[in-house]
Amino acid sequence: MKKKVFSILLVLILLFSFAGCGQQVKSSEHLEDYVFTMSYHDNFNILQLTDIHWNANTSTKSSMAYLDKVIKEANDHIVETQGPGAKIDLVELTGDMFMLVNEYHLNTFVDYFEKKAEEYGFLYAPIWGNHDRQALFNPNTLAKRFCNAPHCIYYEPDDELYGRSNYIINLTEDGSANSDVDWMLVHLDSGASFSETELTISRDYDYIRPDQTEWFIKEHTLYGEDIPVMAFYHIPQDENETAWKAVTEEGAELKNKFFRLESFGDNGNEAHASDFIDRAKEHNLKAAFMGHAHNTDWTYEEDGVVIGLGVKTGDELYFAHVDANSDDEAVQMGLASVGITENFDLIGAALVTITDREGSFDLEHLYYNERKDCDFVKWVKW
Amino acid sequence: MGEMVMENKTKKQSLIVTISVIVFFVVSAFTFMNALYCLSDIIGSTVSGSVDIAIRDILRSVPVFLSFFITLCGLMVAHTFYRNESREILKRNAKLFAKAGIGIGAVLIVYVIVMLIAGKYLSIVEGAPSPIYPLDACLYAVLYIALGILIHMYFKKHEESGLYEGPARAPISKKLGAIKYFFRFFWLMFALYGFCGFFYSFFIVDFLHGYVAYSLAAMLISLVVFLTLAVWELYYNNLSPEKRSAVTLPLALISLGVTIVAAVIYFIALKGNLDGPTNVGFGLLPVAYSASVNVATFLVMIVPMIVSVVALIKGVIRKAANEEIL
Repeated sequence: MKKKVFSILLVLILLFSFAGCGQQVKSSEHLEDYVFTMSYHDNFNILQLTDIHWNANTSTKSSMAYLDKVIKEANDHIVETQGPGAKIDLVELTGDMFMLVNEYHLNTFVDYFEKKAEEYGFLYAPIWGNHDRQALFNPNTLAKRFCNAPHCIYYEPDDELYGRSNYIINLTEDGSANSDVDWMLVHLDSGASFSETELTISRDYDYIRPDQTEWFIKEHTLYGEDIPVMAFYHIPQDENETAWKAVTEEGAELKNKFFRLESFGDNGNEAHASDFIDRAKEHNLKAAFMGHAHNTDWTYEEDGVVIGLGVKTGDELYFAHVDANSDDEAVQMGLASVGITENFDLIGAALVTITDREGSFDLEHLYYNERKDCDFVKWVKW
Repeated sequence: MGEMVMENKTKKQSLIVTISVIVFFVVSAFTFMNALYCLSDIIGSTVSGSVDIAIRDILRSVPVFLSFFITLCGLMVAHTFYRNESREILKRNAKLFAKAGIGIGAVLIVYVIVMLIAGKYLSIVEGAPSPIYPLDACLYAVLYIALGILIHMYFKKHEESGLYEGPARAPISKKLGAIKYFFRFFWLMFALYGFCGFFYSFFIVDFLHGYVAYSLAAMLISLVVFLTLAVWELYYNNLSPEKRSAVTLPLALISLGVTIVAAVIYFIALKGNLDGPTNVGFGLLPVAYSASVNVATFLVMIVPMIVSVVALIKGVIRKAANEEIL
């Protein structure tokens, strides 16, 4: 009996030690492995959908009906403004696609995006949000599902980098890895949250860690330091709040637009201020887009870099009802910036159009509300 | 010969009842986890200021919550048979819980029909959280209504004789009845939570991304919460009042010791994985996520802690009283 118990314990210990000590890949030795390529063309359209937040209560049918409308509206808008043949090239899913879901939700979600990708001819690139880790399935299941989906761009090695998935999409001349890179789209996992100590009651949101920044710089240096860069991640870093304060409290004259109706939900602690934006600026960063704070899509430009949150997609979990008659200063400031005079909900999508190889792009926010008589659809240019 | 047949029949009945308790407990744990997932998201909407979304979600997920309460009724019926405290208690409580199950099942079916007519469900198999939701909840309700009717038929058929003759457990003291009932219910919820957390951890926990210690600690906590109920309910409460008095103190000491050790292990593991709860723990303990605090996972340890401390005090008092008598 004692022998049996000992054997079982030994097997368990070995099992767990193997599980925790798998062969890790060193990112700096496999820089090319993190890179996907797509064919560049002027007017390369990126539709940003963020914080879709399917959860245990979600009617996936209703949510898919809403997504159908948003994707169709975005594609119609592209055709209308850019001419026939133009289309959505890439859909960026900037995190919090889920929150407390099961495998049925995951499979339905991936099947849906595969169907739409086939229909509209786009590829889609998911990024981890803080809530995507909370489900009735192992996070590896999600990773595998994305890895195996034909139209999904996703990479998750067992490496030393912080976060589950950090990867790059290079937009190259002919779409192959052998031709010149025109744009670099960097995707970073900004983590979930953590506490300062094991006895700290509260938790702080995570941030982009120095090793992730270092990895990006190595990638950028490898492909060419002049390549313009656009970054996508989930949790805003400290720059957003600093810029907001500079604009609203110190009267800084930064170009800014859209709404900031709740805090950015960044880490907030100076000790954990990420170095990513500062260092990426020296590496031709042109823009950084994220999600996370549903009631906020505020965007600003500083030192030639546009930094902003996308528009929350869909009505799951929570979102802002913008009241045109509100006395709230932030609401009025947002309304004035977008020129909307009626009540609406702050949900929809964002469209980024890369217009040339020099680092120029257009940005538009789409506010799309389903209404009984006629849907509310408003495009607002940056 | 006749006695032997009777003994076999009793054994068979007792086995069926024990299996029923286990099956209903397991099924209750799963329906509870589904309900907790829905509840946690609703709490998330509420604390984020979107009460309208919370209400919409509650209305959509009512069948999920009712499914849990139906299963709980089933568990209570099986548990009443398992305890078999007296013929009257068995008859009264089992019928009462069966009736409650039938009632909740009927409400669930009517609710789904009303929601379908009102267009709130796009179809009877709208999907999410399961492929055939809310039809699955209705089928579940029909099954439980049938079981409830069978329980009533059983009591009608065996009104005078031949009622369940399995082992009878000594009644639980009626002192502080309402408080005790509340705590037992509360305790059961945490045990279901613990069982589910431990069970699902085998499917949820990712041991490949550096959270091994934290994952094991979270699993341990879940297991301890569940085992506390199992030991007190299935061992302690089955003893005669005299034996209960004798084992209260040692059992309380063991229970408290195990709980404290598990808590200490949890905090040590947390120290090494400060981002462990959000990366590993909250899929297992969704309400802990909703509480939005770091030590939320630890909160589930409070119940076994309270139970152990109460038992310890009781044990010390009883020991003192016995020594006085001697």
